[in-house]
Amino acid sequence: MDNDVANYTVIGRIGEGAHGLVFKAKHNPTGREVALKKILIKNLEDGIPVNVMREIKALQLLRCKYIIKLYDMFPRGMSLVLVLEYMCSGLWDMLHHSQQELTMPRVKTYAQMLLKGTRYMHAHYVMHRDLKPANLLINHEGILKIADLGLARLYWPDGGRPYSHQVATRWYRAPELLYGARFYTEKVDLWAVGCILAELITKQPLFAGESDIEQLAIVLQHLGTPNEDTWPGHAELPDFHKITFPESAPTPWPELLPGVEPDAVDLVKSLVMYDTNKRISAKEALLHQWFHNRPQPASLEDMPKPQMNKLK
Amino acid sequence: MFSTSSQRKFWTFSDEGELAILREKHNLNYISKHGTHIDEFQRYNFFLSPDEERLLLKQYELHLKEFCKRFSPPMPKGVVGTAFHYFKRFYLYNSTMDYHPKEILATCVYLACKVEEFNVSIGQFVANIKGDRDKASDIILNNELLLMQQLNYHLTIHNPFRPVEGFLIDIKTRCSLANPERLRGGIDEFLEKVFLTDACLLYAPSQIALAAVLHAASKEQENLDSYVTDMLFRDAGQDKLAILIEAVRKIRSLVKMVESPAREKVRIIEKKLDRCRNQENNPDSEIYKRRMRELLDEDDLPHTGSSRMSLDTSGVSTVLSPSAS
Repeated sequence: MDNDVANYTVIGRIGEGAHGLVFKAKHNPTGREVALKKILIKNLEDGIPVNVMREIKALQLLRCKYIIKLYDMFPRGMSLVLVLEYMCSGLWDMLHHSQQELTMPRVKTYAQMLLKGTRYMHAHYVMHRDLKPANLLINHEGILKIADLGLARLYWPDGGRPYSHQVATRWYRAPELLYGARFYTEKVDLWAVGCILAELITKQPLFAGESDIEQLAIVLQHLGTPNEDTWPGHAELPDFHKITFPESAPTPWPELLPGVEPDAVDLVKSLVMYDTNKRISAKEALLHQWFHNRPQPASLEDMPKPQMNKLK
Repeated sequence: MFSTSSQRKFWTFSDEGELAILREKHNLNYISKHGTHIDEFQRYNFFLSPDEERLLLKQYELHLKEFCKRFSPPMPKGVVGTAFHYFKRFYLYNSTMDYHPKEILATCVYLACKVEEFNVSIGQFVANIKGDRDKASDIILNNELLLMQQLNYHLTIHNPFRPVEGFLIDIKTRCSLANPERLRGGIDEFLEKVFLTDACLLYAPSQIALAAVLHAASKEQENLDSYVTDMLFRDAGQDKLAILIEAVRKIRSLVKMVESPAREKVRIIEKKLDRCRNQENNPDSEIYKRRMRELLDEDDLPHTGSSRMSLDTSGVSTVLSPSAS
């Protein structure tokens, strides 16, 4: 059995998760590098957090090249240790420390990887609910993988169950969530993908609100005050009448994404869309013309290979 | 999907004999480990036999059912089904003498609540338990990790409830049966009983669901045989149909044989258990309390290299973009 701490040599500390530390370690029998995510349970009122359960369930279900792998788990004292695929870098790092690496062909490839991972999740009825650059990790081969599925949950296409709207990091949070929707769909992930895609292209967050209210204000200001045409049913959302914003006309997309080629703008626009019925799916997005236009998406050989031994 | 699930791969067994062998094995292991100081003849008087363990667990399955039924707020069926699966799986690989079923029962239900997204706090949860609630919550939280480990972290359970809905929709659209909704009473009653059997360790959730539907139909003096043969299995071939018919027959006969254990017998077994249970896992024992204190201290990962790996989180704060909520 692999599930004992004695099988691992801890090499260093990678960072801090919501419930404890994350270590880099080597699995001695195979020499494989892994990330040990340690969840401290002793101080937690309700025992093992629901988020951890969700992450375990989701990762056990999803086996995809573009989603991080959960190899194993074992208890350690009053903690639970998750053994995850080791990823040496991430999109957040890339955006903040090596922007020059993010050429258009590479952005296209990252976008495809992200969309393929998302398509796979949605085909298995899992919505991630917290897609953002910090949760998109990159391994030594240059492959992007979706990580941190602590908010991921199963959904049913009939939409019969209410979900919490307190999900998704603010900048990437879909407008229906900002208005407190309890019945929403996997399309919240596609809004986030659209925001991430715009950020990869312009190297700037698309909608960077400092508070939830400001977030909504920024979105409305750019996409225009919603009406029954652009966003059917928006007025019935729980928090819609709690706050009113000044009427605004939509900002033309070329102004929102200055200097960006029309095909890229069109893809972002189809993802960052109020009406979830019109917001395109990951499957549809992958067929978009932008991926076929020059420059072609970079091949894996041309993707940046983050260094193996980088530790914080 | 059930067909690719851990439930099918690791927790669906070929027959009752296989289950009996596993259970007996853990009973014998316990006795040989803890009975060295007792002579052979006395051992049978002192320890529980495999049959006694079975009877005790049957009683606790009834407790589990009652506990869930009375739970406030009302508990969705899926939580109950998942809790039953956990409880049965746990005692395939553990003896009741090692872990008392009343403690594991509560832990199973608590874990099932979380996994099935029926969100109740530990406070709300133990409000449903009679007696010392602080103690109960300590026991549950202390056992949670053990339970997960014993389940091999296979948390996702495929219950028969969704397949039942599928069959009802299918019957409504493809079958001439009048008012299929009237089958619900019979179906629910059947599924309640099915969890008191080993069916969920032996058959696929869809087979159990179909057995429930067919049972309910026959109670309504209806016959859905042609629906099964001419619609569901029209293109599947005779051998597949034969397997299904046998499964349905077996599930229905398991349900028919469900009976409550005699109260007096259970009382004697419980008394025996108080004496022969593993004191290391008895929350009232000194040895258990000491072990818990040790576990709390054992929380550091072993380290190599120069930096000490401790739980101290100061100094590590990677500032990321604003986090969720």
